[in-house]
Amino acid sequence: MFVLILAFGCVAAVLPVLAARIGRRVFYVAAAVPAAACIWGIWAYGQISDSGPLIEQAAWVPQLGLTLGLRFDGFAFLMLSLVAGIGVLVFLYAGSYFHTEPIIGRFAATLLLFSGSMVGLVLADNLLALFLFWELTSITSYLLISIEDEKTAARSGAMQALLITGMGGLAMLGGFVLLGEAAGTYSMAELLARPPSGSVVNFALVLVLIGAFTKSAQVPFHSWLPRAMNAPTPVSSYLHSATMVTAGVYLVARFTPAFADYSVWRPLVISFGLASMLIGAYRSLRQHDLKLLLAYGTISQLGLMMLLFGVGTRESIFAGCTLLLAHGIFKAALFMLVGIIDHQSKTRDLRKLDRLGAQWPVVAAAAGVVAASMAGIPPLFGFLAKEEALGALGETGFAWGVPVLIGVVIGSSFTVAYSARFVWGAFGPRPVSMIPNQDSVRSEAVGQQVPKPSKIFLAPVFVLAVLTLLFGLVPSLINPVITRAYASLVGVRAEHHLALWHGFTQALALSAVAIGAGFALFWWRLRVEKLQDEMPKVPSAQRGYDRTVKGLLEGADAVTGFVQHGSLPIYLGVILLTMIVLPGIPLLRDGVMPDLWFADSPMQVVVGLIMIVCACAAAVARRRFAAVLLVGAVGYGMAALFVIQGAPDLAITQLLIETLGVGVFVLAFRHLPADFVRSKFRRSQGAQIAIALLAGVFVFLFTLFAIGARTEPSISGEYLDKAHSQAGGNNVVNVIVVDFRGFDTMGEIVVLAVAVLGVAALVRAKRSPAEVEP
Amino acid sequence: MSFFSALIVAVLFSVGVYLLLQRTLSRIILGLALMAHSANLLLMVVGGRAGKAPILGAFGPEDSVADPLPQALALTAIVISFGVISFLLAIAYRSWVLTQDDEVEDDVEDARIAQLGEAEMRRWWSRPK
Amino acid sequence: MTQRRSVILDLCVQAEFHTLLLLSLYLLFAGHNQPGGGFAGGLVASCAFGLRYVAGGSSALSRSISIPATTFLGVGMLFAILTGCVSLLTGHEFLESAIFSADLMVLGTVKTSSVLFFDIGVYLVVLGMSLLLLQQLGGADGTDPDEVQP
Repeated sequence: MFVLILAFGCVAAVLPVLAARIGRRVFYVAAAVPAAACIWGIWAYGQISDSGPLIEQAAWVPQLGLTLGLRFDGFAFLMLSLVAGIGVLVFLYAGSYFHTEPIIGRFAATLLLFSGSMVGLVLADNLLALFLFWELTSITSYLLISIEDEKTAARSGAMQALLITGMGGLAMLGGFVLLGEAAGTYSMAELLARPPSGSVVNFALVLVLIGAFTKSAQVPFHSWLPRAMNAPTPVSSYLHSATMVTAGVYLVARFTPAFADYSVWRPLVISFGLASMLIGAYRSLRQHDLKLLLAYGTISQLGLMMLLFGVGTRESIFAGCTLLLAHGIFKAALFMLVGIIDHQSKTRDLRKLDRLGAQWPVVAAAAGVVAASMAGIPPLFGFLAKEEALGALGETGFAWGVPVLIGVVIGSSFTVAYSARFVWGAFGPRPVSMIPNQDSVRSEAVGQQVPKPSKIFLAPVFVLAVLTLLFGLVPSLINPVITRAYASLVGVRAEHHLALWHGFTQALALSAVAIGAGFALFWWRLRVEKLQDEMPKVPSAQRGYDRTVKGLLEGADAVTGFVQHGSLPIYLGVILLTMIVLPGIPLLRDGVMPDLWFADSPMQVVVGLIMIVCACAAAVARRRFAAVLLVGAVGYGMAALFVIQGAPDLAITQLLIETLGVGVFVLAFRHLPADFVRSKFRRSQGAQIAIALLAGVFVFLFTLFAIGARTEPSISGEYLDKAHSQAGGNNVVNVIVVDFRGFDTMGEIVVLAVAVLGVAALVRAKRSPAEVEP
Repeated sequence: MSFFSALIVAVLFSVGVYLLLQRTLSRIILGLALMAHSANLLLMVVGGRAGKAPILGAFGPEDSVADPLPQALALTAIVISFGVISFLLAIAYRSWVLTQDDEVEDDVEDARIAQLGEAEMRRWWSRPK
Repeated sequence: MTQRRSVILDLCVQAEFHTLLLLSLYLLFAGHNQPGGGFAGGLVASCAFGLRYVAGGSSALSRSISIPATTFLGVGMLFAILTGCVSLLTGHEFLESAIFSADLMVLGTVKTSSVLFFDIGVYLVVLGMSLLLLQQLGGADGTDPDEVQP
């Protein structure tokens, strides 16, 4: 399995090079990888029917006890065949969709990576590995949506997808960590076998569900999916049917057998699922762009899948598996059809398309079949799935079963209506008049002479159309696969049969109601649209997203503007206040006052007073050189204090440094005006003095407490003992500087050399950067 | 521990901070020099009592000796601060060459961000609720 | 330099210059046992050159010493690093000292340590730094930095 996943990455790496040579045929090369995955899946499927799931382990970060586990069971097979099978068709389709665009290599490679990360996602057993692949699908889908990066809409759509799914992914990671810590394992199989308990688990589940909802474009996180329509159609087709959006459904399906009875699970999943189903289908009814129509349809179908898995009864899980497969097949085919129409007639606005059906009767028939499957019309695979769903919801035994069932029937009738709208819009005559004043739109009508698509372009659609018909007519072909997937989810081997005819059941009646209502909605579509237009406008999720992002950016500007206004004194003031306040509070609380005496010697008092007076005078001096000399006097005072303290080395050095230092000050300042210039900035002297006084008080207390904090004797005793014997010197300070701590001194002279070289560079620099010769 | 030496440390630091908060680059540098003095003195004062110079042979067995380690640290610090202040002086010189004064202006980029932020803030508050 | 030069200062500096240099060498070599050392020695030497500058401006400074200041910096660094490396080569820690004593017949016994070479490095770096500062900040007359001659 590792080899399989790696193969996606390795082949993707060579595709761009290959594309430069063989052009669009590169897609056929790429298709070989998912095809291999399909073949491997069928082989492995044979293995697991004899002996349980296949498991592969690899040490990932052994220090942290992380292992990368992969697990292949019945449900993984269902997902893998969906991802890889539709992947093969999408690659074949892309081979005809593109011509000689320069992006082909990049596109094929990214699409293959996308496919590979989805394969990894459905095979991963370790939660963190799952998260890794989850985020990989987010990132690769970002790259795919924005592949035509010169389009603004593509870039912003991609960014929206990345932000929303990325945010959900982070929430999910949080949930995974909480779950993993609560259960003591990050293996999904072990976690689901022994689900942890406690209130933290409910919280973790909410986080995981946020991840699943954002990924599967559930209301109100759905806004990224319609905007992702800016991607080339092969991407849309793949993204909507088998990958990306199914990831969230996949996760819910995996978790639901273990967690359905937790208090947050059913209410959240069912309410979000039902809301998405209804809102998606409702909004789909008023789209004119065929791709957008299908996109909202996807949101609706995903909502139904979420709902089915979320209910968590055996029947509903079975129905969910069936719908997952059925939806993958028909949705991929429908998107490919839109791509073909768009490609041949250069539009996908159903108000402009006119009687394509008459020109392409075979294509129209295929479209009719897959759309009917979406609508749940017998004898197609979609009908079987819808029957199972209605049947399962009819016998949940929960009090909320009936309202949910009614909601699903309403949603289904919407589904029928938008399916009909799709077929009629694409292949039927142009609508007479839906909205007044749309002459401009009509005058551009196309459809008179649209070039026929090539057979190879159509082949993937036909394959899928045949599949949906075949599985509908002969359910026993696919029944074992779904049964095994379902069995691996719920953990027991239960017999369940898909059938076209279950007898006169409640589900059949409800199907009939939904189909009838759906066609009625379609028949009176002009009135429905008018009614929809008259409905009060609810704030759309897109507006919500835009506002959130805008608010975030504005907030960031405002905060940055507040904390970073560019004034050096204010920056310094804030830093100093932090320095005073943060250590100051514990200092006052825990400080130990040492024994105090006034001064070491009378000399100290005299020198100290002179220093204090000089320092204060330097602060208020108007003349520049006066200030320099006063500060120099403070330095000489320092030297005197060092003598009193018993530090002759320091005294000598201080004296010499001060002499030299005053010289350097004078040299540097001699060109400046003799007086300090009155500042043109508004002065806040009060604040400056306050901060200065606070700093003084703080340093005073700090000095007092610092000596009181000493608990151990100085380590200098050792230096005194060893100076002569080990370093051969009597001046202990010098011995420390050049011997015991010689490495520090080495660093110090490096600093000096660098500083003075910097001085030289600054002084010799030209007046302005413009004057520097190239 | 001598009360008076702590006072000197505090006053030097306080005046240093005051000068540091000014707009004139030369005063800022003088402030830093005072703060460096304060820090060196702090090292000495906190290091222990005054005493004889720590030179072997210069003190008897019962004399109290000044701690040599803080002295070595302060020695390093004195020279380093000289190097740093020389560098800052060169910056002041450069600033004078470029602008003919040594006033520290507001950072242009920062000020632009601040303006942007203020505008956002105003819009934010004046937005109809 | 357009100002009038003070003859008295000039003469005093002439007289003191070499004395100061000698004093700096004394501080350097005595530093291991008496107050002094590489820093103090280097600073005294710097003051000697500083006096030269005060008396005669940057031209006097460049006349009194022909070696570029950066050479002092470089040689000083080299001294310091090589001292460390020598003790490494002889199988000791970096900068670990070794004590030598030599019997110089007339002058008596001289006892010294390998860190003296390290201190010489410090001395040279400090001197080079001060010279460079005097030349750069002192040479620049501010109106046209291009005229500065390194």
